[in-house]
Amino acid sequence: MVFTIPREGTTKWLEKLLEAGEVIAPVRGPCGDVIFSALRSPSQVLWDFENPLHPPKQFVLPQTDPLIKIKRNGARHEVEPIYDDAPRTLFNVRSCDVAGISFLTQMHEAEPADASYLRRAHNLTIISLACPTPCPTGFCVCTDSGPFLSGGYDLQLTDLGGRFLVEVGSAKGEAAMAKAPDLFRKAAEDEVTQRKALEAAAKTRFGPETCHFGSAMRRISTGRVPDALWEKMADWCLECGGCNFVCPTCYCFSVKDLRRNGAWVRCRTWDSCQYAAFTLEASGHNPRAQRKERMKRRFFHKVSAQYYARDSAVGCVGCGRCVKTCLGSTHMPAVVAAIRKGKWHE
Amino acid sequence: MGVAPSETHPVSLGRLCARGWSAHEAALWGNRLTQPLVNRNGKLESVSWVEALDLVAGRFKELIDAGKSVGVLGSARATNEENYLAGKLARAGFQTNNLDFSYRALCGPLMAGLEEVCGECTPSVSLNDIESSQTILLIEGDLAETHPRAASAVMAAVEKGAHLVTIIHTATQMSRLASLLLPAIRGNEGEVIDGLLAAVLRLGLEDQASVKVRCEGYHALLRDLETVKITAEMRQAAEWIARATRATFLIPPVSGEGPPSGREAAALATLAALTGHLGRPGSGLLPLLARNNVRGACEMGIVPDRLPGYQRLDDEPSRQRLQDLWGKKLPLASGMDAESLLQSASGVIVLADDPPAVLPGGQRAMAALGRVEFLVVLDAFLTATAQIAHVVLPMASFAETEGTITSMEGRVQRLHVATDPPGEARPGWQVLAELCARSDLGATYRSVSDVLSEVGQATPTYARVGQSENKWVGMRSAKDANGGKFRLFAAEAARVTPAEGSHVLVRDGDFDWGRDPLVAFSPTLSRDYQSERKLFPKGYIEMCKLDADGVGVHPGRPVKLTSVHGEAVVPTRVRTDLKPGVLLVPYAFRDHLANVLGKHSVTAVKVEQA
Repeated sequence: MVFTIPREGTTKWLEKLLEAGEVIAPVRGPCGDVIFSALRSPSQVLWDFENPLHPPKQFVLPQTDPLIKIKRNGARHEVEPIYDDAPRTLFNVRSCDVAGISFLTQMHEAEPADASYLRRAHNLTIISLACPTPCPTGFCVCTDSGPFLSGGYDLQLTDLGGRFLVEVGSAKGEAAMAKAPDLFRKAAEDEVTQRKALEAAAKTRFGPETCHFGSAMRRISTGRVPDALWEKMADWCLECGGCNFVCPTCYCFSVKDLRRNGAWVRCRTWDSCQYAAFTLEASGHNPRAQRKERMKRRFFHKVSAQYYARDSAVGCVGCGRCVKTCLGSTHMPAVVAAIRKGKWHE
Repeated sequence: MGVAPSETHPVSLGRLCARGWSAHEAALWGNRLTQPLVNRNGKLESVSWVEALDLVAGRFKELIDAGKSVGVLGSARATNEENYLAGKLARAGFQTNNLDFSYRALCGPLMAGLEEVCGECTPSVSLNDIESSQTILLIEGDLAETHPRAASAVMAAVEKGAHLVTIIHTATQMSRLASLLLPAIRGNEGEVIDGLLAAVLRLGLEDQASVKVRCEGYHALLRDLETVKITAEMRQAAEWIARATRATFLIPPVSGEGPPSGREAAALATLAALTGHLGRPGSGLLPLLARNNVRGACEMGIVPDRLPGYQRLDDEPSRQRLQDLWGKKLPLASGMDAESLLQSASGVIVLADDPPAVLPGGQRAMAALGRVEFLVVLDAFLTATAQIAHVVLPMASFAETEGTITSMEGRVQRLHVATDPPGEARPGWQVLAELCARSDLGATYRSVSDVLSEVGQATPTYARVGQSENKWVGMRSAKDANGGKFRLFAAEAARVTPAEGSHVLVRDGDFDWGRDPLVAFSPTLSRDYQSERKLFPKGYIEMCKLDADGVGVHPGRPVKLTSVHGEAVVPTRVRTDLKPGVLLVPYAFRDHLANVLGKHSVTAVKVEQA
């Protein structure tokens, strides 16, 4: 079913959503950046913005994520899981980020299922805002994760000028509309046509970044990327880990215990597969001691047919964040192009 | 808790290095100080703030009244406001110029060398300028590891077609991106720089206008370089440097033994001046300093012979201004540097510094600290120094306090409070303000902005910092100390040349990141360092395959090194990219070779099977 809501109705709707729990939306941060943050008032929400550099994955997979509490009780230890059951709405997230969360949820649903992640994800309602203008560094059209989505959202909004088209993707989406049912009416056929036209136009407006995953996948899956190429590319990586941290689909982690108020809290923390110590073993041996080996591993996981077969998607949603945050120049489009062409910087 | 980079930040532009991405971890996982502690019978016991502060003020008064020497160590990881107050406490409160910070032992010569040529030691290019350079001259340690943000800018320039020229002693990531390599033995980089100077002069590549109007000592330089040998590579590099509209010169604190110290830096600045790149917008020198606030600590006057503003002690207008501002007469005699201070002062206040982790003589510093009659440490973390202190005052970490820091490129950056300090820890400026008040320095500060305003009165370049509308950076006015004149110098020094068949041992690097609290207490960042220390509890030296075979030592096995200073037995690691005759000891393992190195960073050694 497809509905519309008038622009001025969104304030009322957001007020209702805020009554039900936390609403995370893109807002202007104190230093001028666009960031995803919990709303205090509906007026903070941005409607026309470039996607924040920091993805909303932190609301399902926080950078520091407390998992269990360990307490001493006499001679015994008590272990208590920590769950975050707070109902949240992600509002005005972009298509790529919706695809990113779908990817993460699929991964965490696989056996053994990750209860901590899934509690958060199941209590999350995702209301996305389709992109009539792709971001300057985005290439979501190459990963089938934008600029408009055909699924994965609870509700998808499209800005039609004075009103928003609302596409319903799930029962959670219906429930979010039911908080203020009077604001929505069924969409007319020309409104649906208008949305289709916007999507078609958006697809013609992409910037210079492209990613031909198909041919890169053939090469990387069949071992046809020469070692010398990885070695060359590795010199253009500064091992900052930024590509992992801003990636909507990266989920690698470490586990560390934090002492708090007489108890230990076991935390899952973001980690980077590009860091030398990520695979460092207690003996001092490191199976991926050289950076070229770590890069190879990262892109094999992201792009190879083996993983594509498992995940039904490449490990990239085309958001272009790695292009912005890479301290060197080994971001996804650059490396995929190098794999495809068999050369780097030539 | 976590880190999110900001695209509006003028330096990061949304990009962080690994240390930046894990910056929050030390604040969370660090061995944090949460209560004021007093050492009673060898144990640190918690006391109230009032008790601790009264004890510190009382004991320092007793020591000073008894005619004993006292001093203060500031910090390259404390804010400008904290450093400023630490300086005020020492000079006006304790009436001493015994004021320093540990890392200055390493970067001091670099700054002195630049000052000799330029009359000041402020950098003349920003990190963002590097990206549009056509030629970059880099004295390479391992820029990608030590200064990833600078390496990033260099990479961007190289991608656009810039010529990167590296003076190297081993192959590194940056050297593999370079257009030209100028090999040098570590410590003898001056020879190569002199070669470049000689090449510029002999090929007539000097910038005539700059030489005529702004440079002094041209003829002496010609004379000094008469006999210097130049290579084809030096000629090529000299041409690229001279012909570039924009050129960047990146210089780390290369070993600065003297006298005279800082010769390499002076010669490099001379090269920049001679080719017209000093004073030209977008061109110039950038000293590569470790830690976030080395420059700020210097500019707040945490130097035994300088006042705030990095003014000389005998600069009468600065002195008078401070005396009026602080209402006290200030001591004229130069103070002791960090090393001497620890050796001979009876009372020492250490602000967020850990001398054993930073000073070239780490163990020596630790032993000296143990003999200090009354040692006070203000820090966010329980460092080695804090563990043996008589009084420990817990401070807020960088994530929990406001203030400013002055970056390597001279930009005053603001810190905003991200979270509350743990337990009873307080912002450092408040603790220091309390100590100042107890030393009869009347000023009251309601906020950190009040301290910054006073900094602006003490050193005019900071007068407008607080007025900036930008949330990230303040406005700092530049000064033109030398009227834009440059004095030219050659390095003229090959310090240690290995004799036929013998070796030189070189201390590699100028900072041990593994013992910086922000790295050591970060579970993510400390892994490699901890692993290395576990694997090599006795440290190691690196040598090339040829040398290892010559001595007949297998990788991992120990060798015996003997120098005029002493001897040591230490395990070896064999590398393929080292020059024969050169042995490297990582800065982190310098103490294992302290006997052999003496107080030097380069020394000739005899190598034998252990």
